[in-house]
Amino acid sequence: MINFDNSATSFPKPAAVRAAVSEAVTKYGGNPGRSGHLLSMQAAAKVYEVRRQAAEMFAAETENAAFTANATFALNMAIKGIMQYGGHMIISSYEHNAVLRPVYALSQTRGVEFSIAEITDNDEESVQNIKALIRPDTKCICCMAASNVTGRILPYRLIGELARERGLCFICDCSQGAGVIPVSLADGINILCTSGHKGLYGPAGTGLLITDGRFPLSTIIEGGTGSMSMLPEQPADMPERLESGTLNTVGIIGLGAGLSFVRNKGLDTIRQHEEMLCERFISLISRREDIRVYRSGCNHLPIVAFNVGDISSHEVSQRLSDRGYALRGGLHCAALAHKTLGTVEQGVVRFSPSVFNSVRQFESLAAEILRL
Amino acid sequence: MKKHYLAMTSITYAMKAYDFLRRRGIRCEVVRTPKNLGSGCGYSIAFPDEPERVIALLDGAGIPHK
Repeated sequence: MINFDNSATSFPKPAAVRAAVSEAVTKYGGNPGRSGHLLSMQAAAKVYEVRRQAAEMFAAETENAAFTANATFALNMAIKGIMQYGGHMIISSYEHNAVLRPVYALSQTRGVEFSIAEITDNDEESVQNIKALIRPDTKCICCMAASNVTGRILPYRLIGELARERGLCFICDCSQGAGVIPVSLADGINILCTSGHKGLYGPAGTGLLITDGRFPLSTIIEGGTGSMSMLPEQPADMPERLESGTLNTVGIIGLGAGLSFVRNKGLDTIRQHEEMLCERFISLISRREDIRVYRSGCNHLPIVAFNVGDISSHEVSQRLSDRGYALRGGLHCAALAHKTLGTVEQGVVRFSPSVFNSVRQFESLAAEILRL
Repeated sequence: MKKHYLAMTSITYAMKAYDFLRRRGIRCEVVRTPKNLGSGCGYSIAFPDEPERVIALLDGAGIPHK
């Protein structure tokens, strides 16, 4: 099976990640931050090292990089941590359910009001659409760095500037950009959320919440942190404030190897390779007249969303799976984006390569698509 | 060897202090906070020399301690 569904989770993982996970299981079995014995301290030192790496990649202070189970957990912590006492927030018309659903839940339970800003093919117009929705009680703008459906890169730097000018918290879902484009807190993002298992090549079950600390977060989970144990209230110190309970040491150590892999390979090299695959893939499948590729004139991540005639995207992806290729069809947990694209009924098939995919692999995939 | 202890507010800040001090050539280690210095769970930096300098360095770097 050849995986072209790396936007869901990257596979295969780099050899160094596999080795780090194996080493973590066999060597780093202590509970980090819970004891003073050697096993615990060795695990804590490894976790700290990965935290430092993550903070460095996203231009944060080390303590402001918190580990989460995935991007959805990070986004819930960020959105509810900022909005749980009410107010208004703005999201984009491309958002994943990892943003829409917690926002909707807050609107039902906490009186939060939200507006959806239309993202068009024009960056300045899209930012103007967000700007027009700002109200006196707006607290936050939350949007993705890039669409998980089409790869369309949103104008997150301009949105960051707008948020800074208006004193709003900017939460950015970087699940699809991290590891491919140089997105970081330096782009005006206050709280950056990402999965660790996609472009960062860590194991599933890893995610990150990176903050600049300017907008303190209320907590949605409280519990043991290994610190301030005599106090009934959750400690204020990051990252322990957001890291109750035993950490996923094995996943975190694997993520550390993934971060090193990305840093050593270089974002430019990764993006150039994947873009080359996408451009040639589009060129090959476009020979068939009834194939529609969903790309605008905007910047895109190396992701290609397409449909074959009026065949259901689920059916196309199933037929390709039967021939040994993993691509995702359907709505990709992002109905908002499909409403924007006009593809709610058919969905789209998503081609998302990783650095491990080769030219030969996508050429054989394209040949199968042309034969469907 | 005499040891000085500086109680930290969390394991992360203890690790950060350790990293910071070692990069400046200061020998130190992260240990459980001795019973006479604090209650409950906690971590400290233990080091042999120059407590005033260590505290000044950490304060200058914005690394909190108790």
